[in-house]
Amino acid sequence: MASGIKGQDREDAVAGWLFMTPALIVFIVFLIIPIIFALYFSLTDWNGISPPAEANWVGLDNYQTVLLEGGIRQSDFFKALKNTTYFAIGVVPLQTILSLLLAVIINQRLLRYKEFFRTAYYFPSITSSVAISLIFLFLYQRSGLVNNALEFLTFGAWEPVAWMSDARGLFHIILEALGVTLRDGPEFLRGELLGLTVWDWISGPSVALMAIMIMNTWTTIGTMMIIFVAALQDIPGSVYEAAQVDGATAWPTFRRITVPLLRPTIFFVVTLGLIGTYQVFDQIYVMSSGGPAKTTLTMAYMVYRNGFRNSEMGLGAAIAILLFVIIFVLTLIQRRITGSEAEQ
Amino acid sequence: MASISPTIAETPAQEVDWTARLRLILSYAILFLLAFTFLYPFLLTVTTSLKTLPEINENPVALIPETWTLEGYLAMQNLNVGRWMFNSAFVALAITVGNVLFASMAGYALARIPFPGGNLLFLTILGTMMIPGIVLLIPMFIILKQVNFIDTYMGLIFPKVTTAFGVFLMKQFFESIPKDLEEAARIDGANRLQMFFRVILPIARPALIALIIFTFQGAWNDFMFPLIVISVRQELYTLPLGLAVLRGGLGESLQWNAILAGSLVTTLPMAVIFIFFQRYFLEGISYTGLKG
Amino acid sequence: MTRKWYKLLAFFLVLTMALVACGGQEEEPPAGADGEQDVPTEAPPVEEEPEAEEEPPAEEEPPAEEEEPAEGTGAELQLMGWSSSEAENTRLQAVIDDFNAANGNIQVNLNLVPDYDTRLQTSLAGGAPPDVFYIDSFRLPDLVDAGAVEPAEGRIEDPDDFYESLRDAFTYNGTFYCPPKDFSTLGLQYNTDMFDAAGLEYPNEDWTWDDLRSAAEQLTNEEEGVYGMVLSADFARWIAFLYQAGGEVANEDFTEMTINSPEAQEAMDFYVNMVLDGFAAQPADLDSGWAGEAFGRERAAMSMEGNWIVPALADGFPDVNYGVTQLPAGPAGEATMAFTVCYGVPADIPDERKEAAFEVVNYLTGAEGMKAWTDLGLAMPTRQSLRDQWLEQFPDLQPFLDGAEHARAWQFVTGFQDVLDTVNNGLQQAFAGTMTSEQVLEQAQEVGTEVLNR
Repeated sequence: MASGIKGQDREDAVAGWLFMTPALIVFIVFLIIPIIFALYFSLTDWNGISPPAEANWVGLDNYQTVLLEGGIRQSDFFKALKNTTYFAIGVVPLQTILSLLLAVIINQRLLRYKEFFRTAYYFPSITSSVAISLIFLFLYQRSGLVNNALEFLTFGAWEPVAWMSDARGLFHIILEALGVTLRDGPEFLRGELLGLTVWDWISGPSVALMAIMIMNTWTTIGTMMIIFVAALQDIPGSVYEAAQVDGATAWPTFRRITVPLLRPTIFFVVTLGLIGTYQVFDQIYVMSSGGPAKTTLTMAYMVYRNGFRNSEMGLGAAIAILLFVIIFVLTLIQRRITGSEAEQ
Repeated sequence: MASISPTIAETPAQEVDWTARLRLILSYAILFLLAFTFLYPFLLTVTTSLKTLPEINENPVALIPETWTLEGYLAMQNLNVGRWMFNSAFVALAITVGNVLFASMAGYALARIPFPGGNLLFLTILGTMMIPGIVLLIPMFIILKQVNFIDTYMGLIFPKVTTAFGVFLMKQFFESIPKDLEEAARIDGANRLQMFFRVILPIARPALIALIIFTFQGAWNDFMFPLIVISVRQELYTLPLGLAVLRGGLGESLQWNAILAGSLVTTLPMAVIFIFFQRYFLEGISYTGLKG
Repeated sequence: MTRKWYKLLAFFLVLTMALVACGGQEEEPPAGADGEQDVPTEAPPVEEEPEAEEEPPAEEEPPAEEEEPAEGTGAELQLMGWSSSEAENTRLQAVIDDFNAANGNIQVNLNLVPDYDTRLQTSLAGGAPPDVFYIDSFRLPDLVDAGAVEPAEGRIEDPDDFYESLRDAFTYNGTFYCPPKDFSTLGLQYNTDMFDAAGLEYPNEDWTWDDLRSAAEQLTNEEEGVYGMVLSADFARWIAFLYQAGGEVANEDFTEMTINSPEAQEAMDFYVNMVLDGFAAQPADLDSGWAGEAFGRERAAMSMEGNWIVPALADGFPDVNYGVTQLPAGPAGEATMAFTVCYGVPADIPDERKEAAFEVVNYLTGAEGMKAWTDLGLAMPTRQSLRDQWLEQFPDLQPFLDGAEHARAWQFVTGFQDVLDTVNNGLQQAFAGTMTSEQVLEQAQEVGTEVLNR
């Protein structure tokens, strides 16, 4: 950003910080300071009940406990990391692509009833997550709507499953269908890595976790779509007219013109997706409490469980900080990839 | 408001060839099918809230109640729902106004003003969204107590008057606005503030509407934060907080109809506001074209 | 462009004013004695001008008065708890109103909050604890170890009148911390119609594991999706069988785990085999969220839940005919679980306030307050002296109340959540056939040992 005269630079610096001031005051007092607190807690053995000043300094012990020390807390941590990562890998691409497609479809000039569609798709986002979770518990029952629909669509071939209590992993199901089981599979499957067996690592999301993933995608598509629609509307119509003159058809127009122009928005949606999925909590809290067989134990839920159920707020804070680091690194990577900072 | 139907009228009919028409039909099919799956659970919520408890237990997914009842809603009659709704609206409104102003200012600075530390600042703000909020509850409470914000409207509003989400949203939007507009204004001798209010904000209309919707909704539905701000003065509860009391202890007889009725009462005002703003939202295209 | 913005601003203002107007209206009728908790407010909430929010940093609102502890006489105390059914909330408020009316100098505010654990921990850690608060027996060790609870020893009237099992539930490291508010025990519910149809005798107090198993077998009809019993993959249920078999989770002073004992193995085998052999099923497999629902839907002929199932069935499944008896006896005799909550007083408040708080607690758990609180038939009295009188009113609930005689407390040590999760997880996997019952206990032993050595 090389811009001309020195006076301009100074003026920009002042203006920049002035524009930021109101936001900064709020952020520093109500976000940065609490985060520094949390960082400090993660270095103590604080139980989350007594006044925090009474906690003992333990250095990096909490981090060591979850990362290096064998035992239930390590294996739980990596289980949560595994579950959360499967969750993110499944949900983020799915919701980004689906919502972008929906936005493009809905943004077609010739389409009518836009208001209706937009409202309809946004409805799940409006409804409170607690209510949605409760309704989905109904729908996911063994004789619930989801199984009924699947049975209907597959002409009865579908075997009803009790979605929320099925701990089988997706890849395990596939592997077992191919005849590979833990018992007679190759030896390395039984090897242990960071508290979990290799077989556990490659489980894939459990049926219960997938049920929550589907629900999560369903509820966020509307929001993401709204963001994309807003961004699409920012693209001047003249850009498309030019493409039409050049004779470009729908797909190339989308790929060469729409997507590059949407870069900042895609970065935004994917980052939000990463943050949202890596911090998934509400649905777990209401629907599964981490079960069955800890296959829906997510990192954010583990923070809660340690901090507010197990008197280990220090450990919970350490997990929260690790979660922060993971999301941050992923965000930086994907900032590179989407190239959101590239100047036009 | 008049953006859609005229567009169709303007397009000469003979230019719409059959592939385009087919695509349109296909679009409609997909869109209606999806609309159905998106609305059905909501409809189910509405009708289930009007069922009797035994009937819900009998068949939870039947859409039409056999006996209609207001049982679920009567559970709320002794609660201070009116007051809570006012609190929610007031707090959400104040937060939204604050965000429209401050988050867009901050977003603008980060997107458009090259100032030292800007990039680091942006990453820091982005970073604050990546800490699970649950771990910040107790520190937040301690600070709120220090500044005497516990059990006040100020406590509910002030900490949220700029959200990291809002700043991030606006920054990304401002980045996609062509730069030449500002250059023109600068040549005319406008300063940053004038540029922002006269040139940038008006163009950012679709983004601002999105910001308004998201912020309002986020503030309206927020649960954990009001939970720690309001300690004893239940008349300051927001709606989600107040209705959570209704849900009571889990594991016991879940009053599904009352729970769903409660969540509907929470949801409906949001839905009305969204539908209202839809109309502004749709104007976007024509307005961006006008360039100030 | 400006025109549009004025419109938007105007909309905001109109909306705000409309809301202020209607909000004010709704508020007019004083919520008075219509039951729900209405917190008496000294100062009416400060209603800001709608315009005020335009510049939020402005400090023009006087901070609403802090809930400063009022010293000495005229103390205003806060009692914090979670909300249960509306009937119970209303009743508790009435009991407290009685207390307030009889005591001029101590006034109690009942504050029932959502998300109780989070709220409690926040206010304790933030140095603003309520003066009296609910403590679940399972949470007691955590709170005591954090130094948050003032011992009640010597400050409670006639503590020996409480059932021993309930006193135990709130005794930790030999100190009695708080008197029980009410309690539940696990009982056996049986569907009389289904027993009649199968031509079986109803369960009774003399039943053993074998009786339970053979009845469950005969009542199961897998084709119709009906099972003899509904069993959850839940430590809090299985543990009753553990005690009936004579097993223990750990040794007396919780220095060593004993959950992989032969007795535990026997209990685990019995419990898991009920499901593996197809005589019992989990709630989820019976399209239910919890056991009571499966029982109500008549998908299972028996369930083992606490007295909370009674109002749940009355509300949700009024047509189900059922009876209740005590849990069957195992190889080592009878045992059930007691789930109970007490009124705790925080350690971190001034002495005069503690005194006042204990006065309130003594009223609520004393004969008068306890009687008023329990004569809805929802909560059971924790004082033995109230037993007979209560049973006259609610004879059907006798099996639950009698459970207190041989109940064990649902209480372990700090950090035990990890063991709980491990056993629940293990039970799920054992039910699914992916873990053997030996493996479940081995794992529980291992994790428990780790927890006890922390």
